[in-house]
Amino acid sequence: MSQTASAVHHSPKENYLNHQKTVWSWMSTVDHKRIGVMYLVTLAVMFFIGGMLALLVRLELLTPGVTIMGPDTYNQVFTMHGIVMVFLFLVPSIPAILGNFVLPMHLGAIDVAFPRLNLASYYVYLAGGALVLFGLFAGEIDTGWTFYTPYSSSASSAVLFLTSAVFVAGFSSIFTGINFIVTIHKMRAPGLTWNRLSLFTWSIYATSIVQVLATPVIGITMVLLFFEKMLHIGIFDPALGGDPVLFQHFFWFYSHPAVYIMILPAFGVVSELIAPFCRQPISGYKFVALSSVAIAFLGFLVWGHHMFVSGQSVVSSVIFSLITYFIGIPTGVKVLNWVTTMYKGSIWLKTPFLYALSFLFLFTIGGLTGIMLGVLAIDIHLHDTYFVVSHFHYVMMGGTVVAAIGGLHYWWPKITGKMYDEVSAKIACGLIFVGFNLTFFPQLILGSQGMPRRYHDYVEAFAGLHMASTIGSWVLALGLFVVLGCFVHSLRRGKPAPSNPWGAATLEWTNATSPPSPHNFVTSPIVTHGPYDFDAVEEIFSGDGASGDGSVQMDQPPSVAPSSSAS
Amino acid sequence: MSTTIASTEHDTQGGHGASHDDHPAFLQHHFVNADQQFDAAKMGMWLFLITEILLFSGMFVAYTVYRAWHPEVFLEASTLLDWKLGGLNTLVLLASSLTVALSIHYIQKGNQAALFWNLLITILLACVFLVVKYFEYMAKFEHGIFAGEGFDPHGVSHGVDYAKYNIPYAKQFFSIYFIMTGIHGFHVIVGIILMTWLLVKARLGHFSAAWYTPVELTGLYWHIVDIIWIFLFPLMYLI
Amino acid sequence: MADGHHGHHIVPLKILWGVFGGLIFLTIITVITAKQVDLGPLNLPLALVIAGTKATLVVTFFMALKWDNRVNLLIFSLGFIFVIVFLSFTLFDTSFRGDMSNAEENYISDQERIEQQLLERQERLEQGLPLDVEEEEPADAGHGDDHGDDGH
Ligand SMILES: [Cu+2]
Repeated sequence: MSQTASAVHHSPKENYLNHQKTVWSWMSTVDHKRIGVMYLVTLAVMFFIGGMLALLVRLELLTPGVTIMGPDTYNQVFTMHGIVMVFLFLVPSIPAILGNFVLPMHLGAIDVAFPRLNLASYYVYLAGGALVLFGLFAGEIDTGWTFYTPYSSSASSAVLFLTSAVFVAGFSSIFTGINFIVTIHKMRAPGLTWNRLSLFTWSIYATSIVQVLATPVIGITMVLLFFEKMLHIGIFDPALGGDPVLFQHFFWFYSHPAVYIMILPAFGVVSELIAPFCRQPISGYKFVALSSVAIAFLGFLVWGHHMFVSGQSVVSSVIFSLITYFIGIPTGVKVLNWVTTMYKGSIWLKTPFLYALSFLFLFTIGGLTGIMLGVLAIDIHLHDTYFVVSHFHYVMMGGTVVAAIGGLHYWWPKITGKMYDEVSAKIACGLIFVGFNLTFFPQLILGSQGMPRRYHDYVEAFAGLHMASTIGSWVLALGLFVVLGCFVHSLRRGKPAPSNPWGAATLEWTNATSPPSPHNFVTSPIVTHGPYDFDAVEEIFSGDGASGDGSVQMDQPPSVAPSSSAS
Repeated sequence: MSTTIASTEHDTQGGHGASHDDHPAFLQHHFVNADQQFDAAKMGMWLFLITEILLFSGMFVAYTVYRAWHPEVFLEASTLLDWKLGGLNTLVLLASSLTVALSIHYIQKGNQAALFWNLLITILLACVFLVVKYFEYMAKFEHGIFAGEGFDPHGVSHGVDYAKYNIPYAKQFFSIYFIMTGIHGFHVIVGIILMTWLLVKARLGHFSAAWYTPVELTGLYWHIVDIIWIFLFPLMYLI
Repeated sequence: MADGHHGHHIVPLKILWGVFGGLIFLTIITVITAKQVDLGPLNLPLALVIAGTKATLVVTFFMALKWDNRVNLLIFSLGFIFVIVFLSFTLFDTSFRGDMSNAEENYISDQERIEQQLLERQERLEQGLPLDVEEEEPADAGHGDDHGDDGH
């Protein structure tokens, strides 16, 4: 097929974005792609709110003493930053946006197993978000995102809104998890065996298992905390004979696995980013796939590493610490395999791949500092310092958010049917990388020197590093705004995207138009090769699919075999 | 190509692919066949059921921890609960589990009338459970036994001096008791609502041997409600 | 994907009624053993074993897991395994609190003191004296006041 001929046809007139235009058609849609887009917009708003709160926190810490706000306001701001970012952004983030959009297409399915539940899940999430924001304005929530008792059960009654909000948002998470597990089990296209699932699918699968098993426990924790506060039932409040450490068990039984709810999907995205831009199958596919599942299960056995200084049993601490080391193994397997995939690959430095490289660098720092914190003796020293703050930002922001943005760039042509400007996207990626490290690397040093977290003030000795960190946060914010600008520009002026700009081998690229038709595929795909068999893609596209130059154009999706695409 | 899209488009929203000969009315468009749809729905329900189990697990853990710390208090406090009423409710729930299983059995054989009557009996049994629970609660409230701060046992009835149960950690026992049975009761109410909806649809003849998925799923849910009570009963009332 | 041969097993009436009979029987047994037979510390495990058996009967026959897809059995087992993980790891801590003297010397006496305070509190309640909740609060000056108000 020739370039010029296909250029006329590559964007079909009717696609999932324009086949129905009313606002109601969006609000009542059960199309997984549209729901994914709705999540994208909503979560971008949440990320913006959380990010602004973060900038306020950093601004306050620019200089010692009161810079822009007093201690009480500061406590509320970092609390809201944590709650919005964790419960409203990070937990849903990749599964809700990219999972919704990509997962059914990776499976060759028309939709998720329960499309209406999927939509319900979105509205439940909105309800949870509304409750949180209401709590934000009702005010005076300064418990930190962890709601530790006894403080939370005696603090402002707005905590009641927040516990309900977390409870409600949890249901959204559970529904999404159930939906994805069933979809992966029951909705795969003919020929799509478990060994041919994309690694993104595998990681979403592992994530969903964690969501289903862990989220109910945060639900009941919030219910009990609610009653503790309302009725003083004396389960968690020591003044009434309760045990605050029991609350921490309940909380971390969910919240440690929740870390994997946040990071596992990022692992999946990174696998998808690395393979096509190295033109190699992910090395050790089975190990990478199964390590996700291993992490999901091991993740349930380590929650006590957040409680080393809580006064829990020492033997418990030792066991939790030991199992925490084990988690490093499957994670290391992944990093090793990603790096090996690059080895002798034909590396194509496009923006998504740059994000993948950033991820590898930042996540490795986040992961290694995590193992350090899992060491019982070191954690006693570093507990509740900026070292911990930096560690989880390296994992959550450097890991999840960077992977999410990378994934967004990667799938942007598929989602919107438009290409973005490569140069400004790369500049944004660079700004984010530099800004991120400038923000958080000083915090590692601060923490190791003893700067405690959640303080609005600090001694003069820390001033330089804090200032560097705050300046870094501005660079980081600038980078994120450039990303936003880049996407907005792409929507308005972007060149139409070909079906498979990256020459990738998964079904959403090989068998669907950009943007896809309302039913994803014109004919249900029959899968004949693995997700990273780029040589097979070469066959499908008669040679120009795997050349790595982004020139792939398709008249219409090849349905089954290469020969049928000629029609 | 555009005609292909157009022809498949109209069943996007409704899911009632009436125009397809091979598609029964209940089959949603994104499934290949009825078996796939049924299996998916059932698997989804099982996943939901384990979230229910884990939800209750939090309360069982709280119970176990406090019981392990203060076994004598829990033993003593549990004698205040009326095991006869608890036992009666156990039998009522077990019977309702049977009738809901029977209703599935009959609709699998296409017997709509038997489905209707068994659902009706199930709902009635569930109501009996709630009524018994109501009297149990009232008998406790009367003597100042509440969850949390209001806990202040007093008065004498049936030769039991409630005031002597005013001991530390008895409050925890009753708080856990009220929250657990309360959340369980909430699940019973949800079950009643679901089954009333099923009852209406059964009356209208919506279910058949070919399609009875909602009955099956509600049945699974109802059995889990029963199973949770099976554990609650001995732990709270007996030992 | 369609295997087409499972999920529609009709459980025979005889089994349903038989299982129901078994459940009633076990309920009676559990009441009798708990109320009449004193096995000391073994009463609790016995009651749990009976409850477990009853639950297994319900799951296997009423919920027809015996004839269902294997994957549903796997899901259900996962649920129970993680309840056990939750329970056992938490209990491991709560039963061995203060091992290796990681808690302060007066940790246990603190517990006793709290218990004593609680007893005194109850006494005051009984005698209708005003409660002095402040005293039991941890040193947390800023929030002692709103605590006292919450109770009404
Ligand atoms: Cu952790």
